[in-house]
Amino acid sequence: MSSPFEDVLATLIRQRGVLGCIVVGESDGIVVDANVQVGVAEAVVAALAAALFRRARLSSQSAGLGRVTFLQLEAEKGHVCAVGREGLVLVTLAEPRAHIGLIRGAMLQSVEALT
Amino acid sequence: MSDEIRRLSDELARDPSSLVFLQLGEALRKAGQLDLALKVATRGLERHSHDADAHDLLARICVDRGELEQAFDEWDMVLRLAPNHVGAQKGMGYVLFKQGRLEEAETHLSGAASGDRTDPSISTALRMVRRLLRYARLAGNGSEPGPEELAAAQRRIEEEAHYLFADILGDSEQTALLLNSDGLVTAGTYVTPEGTDVSQEVGAQLSGVRDDAQRTVRHLDLGAWKTVLYETDIAIVALAPALDEALVVVAASHDVPLGFVRRVLDRCVKRATMWLSEVG
Repeated sequence: MSSPFEDVLATLIRQRGVLGCIVVGESDGIVVDANVQVGVAEAVVAALAAALFRRARLSSQSAGLGRVTFLQLEAEKGHVCAVGREGLVLVTLAEPRAHIGLIRGAMLQSVEALT
Repeated sequence: MSDEIRRLSDELARDPSSLVFLQLGEALRKAGQLDLALKVATRGLERHSHDADAHDLLARICVDRGELEQAFDEWDMVLRLAPNHVGAQKGMGYVLFKQGRLEEAETHLSGAASGDRTDPSISTALRMVRRLLRYARLAGNGSEPGPEELAAAQRRIEEEAHYLFADILGDSEQTALLLNSDGLVTAGTYVTPEGTDVSQEVGAQLSGVRDDAQRTVRHLDLGAWKTVLYETDIAIVALAPALDEALVVVAASHDVPLGFVRRVLDRCVKRATMWLSEVG
C-alpha cells in the first residue's frame, strides 16, 4: 500500500548527506512513514525529533515567539531537521557534510503534504 | 502526597532506624513541605547524630526556611564530621556569600569545586563570587571591601551583564540572553516592543529546549550539540551551549537572514565564554 508521503520522503532522501527522513506524530512520537538508510533506528530518531520539535513549539508559543516552521539541531556528528503541521512532523537526519540550505528548502516545500 | 513520599514514609514506618529518612526529608523539602521535612530530619538526627548527610539535609531545609544561621551551624557540623563534604562546602559558600563574607565564600566554593568538577552550579557561583571580590577590591582601591564597595561591585556586574551583547546586537531587531544551567538569566536582556522586560520568562521557556537537544544527541550518538535554530512565523531563535552548561539564546526578527543570526550567535557565545571565564 502506498503512503501519501512516499514522494516527499523520496525527494528528501536523495539530498546529499541525508541518512533518513520520517513522518512522525508530534504528540506520540510514532512513525507514520519513513525512508531511511540501513542502520538508522527510525523509531528512535522519530521519537526524539518529535519531542524536540514539540518542546520548541510549546516553548516558542509560551514565550510569545509564534508558531515554529522549521527547526534544526546541529551536532558534531550530524543534523536533525524538522518541520511540522497539523500534528505531524517531517524529520530529516543528515550527516555533517549535508547541505542544510537545500534540505531546509525541500522540507519547507514538502510541509504542505503533512495533512 | 506523591507516591514516592508515601512509599518512603511507609518504609520509614516499617524501620524507623533506617536511613531512608534522608530520601524522605529531601523529597518533602523539594515538594515544599518544609515543616514535615524538618520534623523528619530532626527525628532522623536523633538516631543518627553523627551522620553528615543528615546534618546536610537539615541545613538545606533551614536554607529553604530562610534560617541561614542555623543552616550555617549544621553545615559547620557536617564539615567536622566529613571535612571534604561537597554539599556542605557549597552550602557554606552560599550562606557566606549571602552574608557578604566573600573571601570565606570563595574558600568554601573552591573546595566544593575541587571536590565536584561536574556540578556547573558550583563553578558558576564561584565565578560570581570571584568577580564580586575583584570589583569590590577595585572599588576599595585595594583596601578590605566593605558594604559600599560590595554594593558598587554588584552594580558594576549588573551593568556589565545587562550590556554584555549590546555592541554585537547593535540597533537591529535582535536580542540575546545568557542563561545559567538552571535557565536563569545571567546576562543580556529581552524587552518586548512595548518596553516590558520579559528576560526571565523567555529564558525559562527556551532553556527547556536544551534538555531535549541534549537527550537527542545522546541517544542518536551525534556527539556534542552545537546549535538549535528554529524559525517561527515571526522570529528566528538560535541557541548554543556556553561554559558551565550555560546557554546563549539569540532571537531575531523573521526578516533577518538565517546566516546572519548564526554569525550573531557565534559572536555572542564567544563573548559569553570570555566573560564567564575571565574570572576562572
